Amino acid sequence: MSMHSITLRNRDNTTYQVDAKKPLLESLRAQGVDLPYGCKYGGCITCAAKLIEGDVNQKAQVALNNRQINEGYVILCVARPVADCTFDIGVESHDRLYRNPFLDPLKPHELKADIASPAEDPVK
Amino acid sequence: MSETCCGPGYASPAEAMKAPREKLLYTIAIYTGTGIQKPDYLATIDNDPESPTYSQVISRCEVPGIGDELHHMGWNACSSCFDDSSMSRKYLLVPGVRSSNIHIIDCATDPRNPTLHKVIEGSEIKSKTNLSAPHTIHCLGSEIIISMLGDAQGNAPGGYLHLDKDFNIVGRWENSMGDIPFGYDFWYQPRHNVMASSEWAAPNTFMPGFDLEEVGHLKYGRRIHLWDFEKREPMKTFYLGEDGLIPLEVRFHHDPDSTHGFCGAALSANIIHWWKDDEGEWQWEKIIDVENEPHPDWPIPVPGVISVILLSMDDKYLYLCNWLHGDIRQYDISDPHNPKLTGQVWMGGLLGKAPEVNGVKVTGGPQMIQLSLDGKRLYVTTSLFSTWDNQFYPEIRTNGGCMLMVNCDTENGGMEIDPDFLVDFGKEPNGPSRCHETRYPGGDCTSDIWL
Repeated sequence: MSMHSITLRNRDNTTYQVDAKKPLLESLRAQGVDLPYGCKYGGCITCAAKLIEGDVNQKAQVALNNRQINEGYVILCVARPVADCTFDIGVESHDRLYRNPFLDPLKPHELKADIASPAEDPVK
Repeated sequence: MSETCCGPGYASPAEAMKAPREKLLYTIAIYTGTGIQKPDYLATIDNDPESPTYSQVISRCEVPGIGDELHHMGWNACSSCFDDSSMSRKYLLVPGVRSSNIHIIDCATDPRNPTLHKVIEGSEIKSKTNLSAPHTIHCLGSEIIISMLGDAQGNAPGGYLHLDKDFNIVGRWENSMGDIPFGYDFWYQPRHNVMASSEWAAPNTFMPGFDLEEVGHLKYGRRIHLWDFEKREPMKTFYLGEDGLIPLEVRFHHDPDSTHGFCGAALSANIIHWWKDDEGEWQWEKIIDVENEPHPDWPIPVPGVISVILLSMDDKYLYLCNWLHGDIRQYDISDPHNPKLTGQVWMGGLLGKAPEVNGVKVTGGPQMIQLSLDGKRLYVTTSLFSTWDNQFYPEIRTNGGCMLMVNCDTENGGMEIDPDFLVDFGKEPNGPSRCHETRYPGGDCTSDIWL
C-alpha cells in the first residue's frame, strides 16, 4: 500500500499516514480528525482545506473555481494525495475561499474549469 | 360540515384564518459552514406571550449527522388531506441539501419537544432514484413530493422524489422533465390541473457559493415552468430572460379556484405574476421591480436579491424580502396586476438602514419569512445558505442568525417590528448557529393547499 504523510499545520503540525488511494477526508476522519464535510462527492465545498505544501489529485471535484484552486484549496472528500502534504484545515483555512462576487469579480480564466477561458499571456 | 371530517388542516383558506394563534414555532438552525462541528437541528421556540419562556428556544432536535445543511421543510399532511380522517399533521420532513438525508421529525407526540422518527438516507435516495439535494416538500393528499435539485452527482436538472405516507421511496414522481434545465421550488393548484416550478441552479453550481459570472454562462435559471399536474410533465415554459434571473419561491393564490401565481426573481429583484386569461391562455408579466441601490463601497449598485416571497392566507398581501438591501415589503395585491406598496421595515442588510434591531446586531438580512394564518404576525430569519452567507455576510460566522417578528396591519396595510420578540441564535449553547425556514404545528401560509 502506497502511503503519504499528511501534516495539519493549524493542528499543532500533527501528522498522519494515509493511503494514497483513499480520499483524504475518509483517511483523516478514520484517524480521529474532526473535519467539516457535506456532500462527499466533491460538489459542495464544505470540506475545503488549504494545501500549503505537497500535491493532490482532485480531478473529481467540481466545486472550486480556478481562483480557489490557485489559492491552494483542496476538496478533501475526493482528493487523494500524490505526495506528502501539509494543510491548514477547517473554516480557519477559508480566508480566501469566499468573496463577495459583486466586489471582487472573477477573470475569465478564474472561472470553474468547464467555462474558464485560457489564461492571458502575461508578456503579450 | 360533514361528520366524516376531519383530517388535518382546514376546510378552506377562510377557515384556516380563524385558527388559534400559533404558540410554538419550529425553525431549522445550522452549523454547516460555521466551523462548529455539531449537527444542524430543529429549534422549537415558545411563542406564547403569556409564557415565561416566550421568544426563547425551548428544545433542540439534533439530526444524527454533521454537514447536512438543513434548509427547507414540509409537513407530511396538510389541508389537501382535510377529508381524510386517517391522516394527521404529525411529522415534519426536514431534508439536508448537502447530504440528501431526509429527517422525519415527530412534532405531535410532544409538540414542545420534537423527536427524530426516521431518516431516509441520502445514499438510498441516490441509489433508487438518481436524485440529490432535496428542497421543497409538498404533500399531495396522503403522498409526498419533494423537488430534488440534482442527480446523484449534483448535476441539473434533478427531478421529483415521490414518497408514500409511511415515508417509503416510491420512485420518481415526474414522468418527464421535458426541457427543464434546473429545478427549485414548486406549488400546485389541483382544480386547474397545474403545477408551477422555478429554477435555481445545479447543486454543483450553487452549493460552493455564488459566482456572478456563472449567471452569464447560463448556469443559473431564468424560467418558470407550468406542468400538467395529472400527466406529471411540463406543458408550458415562461422564458423570463433578464427580468427573471434566478426565479426562486413560487406561490399560487391559496384560493383553490384562482389561477394567479407569483414568483420572486432573486437576482433581477422582480416579482413575476402569471394567470390564465379569458381565452384560457397562460400569461405572465413583471409586476414589481426593486431598484438597485447605490453603496459607498460598491462599484455597482446593490441588487435587492429577493430571497423569498409569501402570500397571506386571504391572498390580499404579498410579502418579499430583499436580502442584500435589508428590507421586507408588503404589497396589496387585491388587483394582482397592480400591486400597491403598503408597508416596509428594515433589518440588517448591506445598506446600513437598520444595523441593530431590538438591541441585537442583525447579521445578514431578512431572508425566510412565515406568516401567521390570520396574517398579523410575520416571522423573519436572516440566513440564506451557508456558503452564500459566508460570501455576503462573513460576520454571521461569529454573530449567528436571528429571528424577529413583524406585526402586520391586515386592514389598512403597514408593518412594524415587534419590540418584544427576538430569538438570538448567536447565543445558542453550542455556539452561534443560523436559522432559516419556520413552520407552526397548525399549518402556515406556505404549507397548505386545497384540492
